[in-house]
Parts: sequence; structure tokens; C-alpha cells
Amino acid sequence: MKSTDQQDWRSERSEGLGISEVLNAVWGRRIVIASIVVVLTLVSVSYALIREPAYTVEAVVQVSPQGELGNEEDVGTFMDEVVGAVATEDMLSQTSRRAGYEGNLASFRSRLEVSSTDARNGEPGSLTVAFRSGDSDEAARTANAYASLFVEKVENLNDQRLAGGTLGAEATVRSAAVASRNGSWTRVALYGLGAVAAGVLAGGAAALALDGRVRSWRGPRDAELTLRAPVIGVIPEYESITQRRD
Amino acid sequence: MDAGVAKDSEARKFVDPDSPLAPHFRALAENLVALRSGSSVFIRTVVVTSPEPGAGCSSVCLGLAGALVEMGLRAAVVDCNLEDPGLHRILGEPNFIGLTSSLESGKPPENYGLEVVSGLLVVPTGPVPSDPVARRESEEFVLTVRSLENHYDFILLDAPVAATVIASDTLSEDFAGVLLVVHASKTSKSAAREATDDLLEAEINLLGIVLNGAS
Repeated sequence: MKSTDQQDWRSERSEGLGISEVLNAVWGRRIVIASIVVVLTLVSVSYALIREPAYTVEAVVQVSPQGELGNEEDVGTFMDEVVGAVATEDMLSQTSRRAGYEGNLASFRSRLEVSSTDARNGEPGSLTVAFRSGDSDEAARTANAYASLFVEKVENLNDQRLAGGTLGAEATVRSAAVASRNGSWTRVALYGLGAVAAGVLAGGAAALALDGRVRSWRGPRDAELTLRAPVIGVIPEYESITQRRD
Repeated sequence: MDAGVAKDSEARKFVDPDSPLAPHFRALAENLVALRSGSSVFIRTVVVTSPEPGAGCSSVCLGLAGALVEMGLRAAVVDCNLEDPGLHRILGEPNFIGLTSSLESGKPPENYGLEVVSGLLVVPTGPVPSDPVARRESEEFVLTVRSLENHYDFILLDAPVAATVIASDTLSEDFAGVLLVVHASKTSKSAAREATDDLLEAEINLLGIVLNGAS
């Protein structure tokens, strides 16, 4: 009984799951998928609304030497020397007070992140100050307080001279931190979108897994899409026809 | 050959032309006849199988054969599910004689069948032998079925599940094609998909799917 007829359906039949079978399975389980999406979205948006928001706001300070640096080694150590001389423990306390931060110094330190970039190819070095807080205004206020205090400290330091009294530095706030005005709703929307995407993926996977296990065929079209073979006859359940007739 | 089918037999709802199922079996029969006329292989003997037991192969065989007879053709149904015979139960008849009797005696299977309506022969398995697989794999089995082809337009073999058909040299190679019956509420989709893939992979001439028990 070897097949000799190259009927269209056989030649068009592909190995593995095709897009039509996947869509058929997904459509058949659309209520399951929609339920998963709705539940995930509700949970995710609720979480986004009730959890403490976390804003991280940055200020950037530009730092450049007042005179020419002698060699590459001097360039590499310049920022370290400036930061090392200015960013002291005392400065942290002052920034905390100036910004009106209510927590202790350890908490303040854990929320503050300061990173520096050396001067390169004629570009000045820079100091990036980031502060994380549940209050966007507080995050911006603190980052800006640190940046401006850093500038003041550098100016004070110039009076004393760096590097053995031979090198001065100039510091200006290149960009001040700005409080986010719409961060909360953006975050909620992102959480919602993420949940929808995850729900569709999880629901689709569940639909495919369930579809293989069930013993329920929706009709000849479902059978053709599932089996990728033609249905040449549909015989109803005898009882269902007689009940309909009654 | 006995004649007729008992009035209270379950088979009536499949072979009676006034049964509510008759139009559906007629559509299936018309499709099968159309397949035969459009095929390069002359389809006379069709193996009717299913991915799992309980899909209703026997009832589909009876209903399809009844519809073919209504179309003016002659049809025979032979139960070759020697491991788990069921056709005689639908007929409401004992399984004292049938296919195995014919294989044993060498006499035509018509002698051991039941003509349920004029032009429709039904041959149950008969007594189940101790070596059912060997009987079905024998040349005698093929010759016995082929002998019916001289007198009937269609011979429907009520076969075991698809995996057994694929494993059987006679059922998979000696007859024209296979109908796969899936039951709308009993056959799992994964089993049906696997059976379809396996039949095609074995290069068996799958004629099509019959969706049985649809709501």
C-alpha cells in the first residue's frame, strides 16, 4: 500500500508545527490565554502601584586641570587626586544635611553612586553622581547637592593647590539632575506591557501543551489543521442528532 | 451466509438508510468514491484504523459500507482486529464463525459472513486464534480478502490501531489505502497527530481522516 499519489496535501505537509497549527491551537484556547494575560497584568500592575518606587537621577560634574598635564601618568592620576582630595566622608555628611536627607549616613552612602572618567584626547574628565530614592525630587536634590558641593570643594582646594601645590582644577556642573515627573506611570505601563507579553507567551505555551493532551476536537477544520491531512467525512454522535430532532 | 440484521441491533443505526446518520455516511461514501476515481491506484480494499482503540472504526465501517450500498455499489466489511474483535457485538451476533473460519477451512469468507442488507456483507473475526498476528500476516489472509474483490466494489477492513497497521506487512502493503478514524471526544490530539505522521512516514497511502462522534 505504498503511496503513489502525490496529492497536494501531502507535498505541502511540513515537518513539525506550522504557523497555522499554532494559531489553531492558540485560537482554540483563547479564553485560557486571555485569562492568563489578565491575571498576570493585574498582578503586575498592582505590584508596580504598591511597591516603593525607585528613581535614580544623575548629575554630571566636568573637571579639568587649570594647566597642562605633563604626561599620560599625570592624566591618569589627575581625577583620582581630585576625587580623593574632595570626596571625603565629611563631604558625605555635608551633602546629606544640605539635601535634607532624613536617613542615616550608611543608608545615604548605599544610595549614592559616584563614578569618574579620566580626561581623554583633550576632553575634560567628568564625575557622574547618581542617587537612588523613592522620591524623585529627593533623588535629584541630593545628586545636585553633591555635585555643587563637589564644585565648591574643588574651588576651595585650588586655594591650597593640588599635587604638591603645583596643580589646580576647574569644576563645573555640566548637567544637573532633574526630577522625573512621569516615572511612576511609565513604570506601571512598562510593567503592564511586560505582563501582557509574558501572558501571551505563557498562555500560548500552555495552549499548545493542553491542545496535545485534550480529547476534544472542535470540528473538521480543527482536525485538518491539527493533523495536516484532509477530513473526508464527519460522522456526528447518534445520540446528539436524535436529541436535536426531539 | 446468514441474511438480515436484528431489529434491535445497534448496526441498524449505521446501515439503515433512514437513520439520521445516513446523510453523513453518504457524504463520506461519495468522497471515497471520488478519491477512487481521482487516484492513480485503484482503490478497492480500504483499511480502516484509528490512533487509539474506541474511535469507532467498526461503526464507521458499517455506516460507510451501508452508504456505498445505497449508492448502488456492493460492499464488504471484514473484521481483521483479531486481537480485540468488536464488529459482531455491533451486529448483536455471536462470534462463532467468521474470517478465521474462512482462513481455517479455505472456503470463501462469504460463507462465514452475514449479509445485513442486500449487497452488504459483514464478516466478523470468527473464533480468535492463539496466534492472531501470524494469521493476519499470512498469505492466506491476503488471498482471502482479495477473493472478495471479485464480488464487491469496496472491501473495508475493520483494523486494529494505526501502530499495529504500520507494523503489519499485510495491512500496510497489500491493500489500496487507509482511512484514519478519530473520535471527537475520545481520541487525543497528540496520539492522532503521531499516528498520522507515522502512517505518512511509513509511506502508507492515507486517504483521509474521518471525524467520528462530532457534536
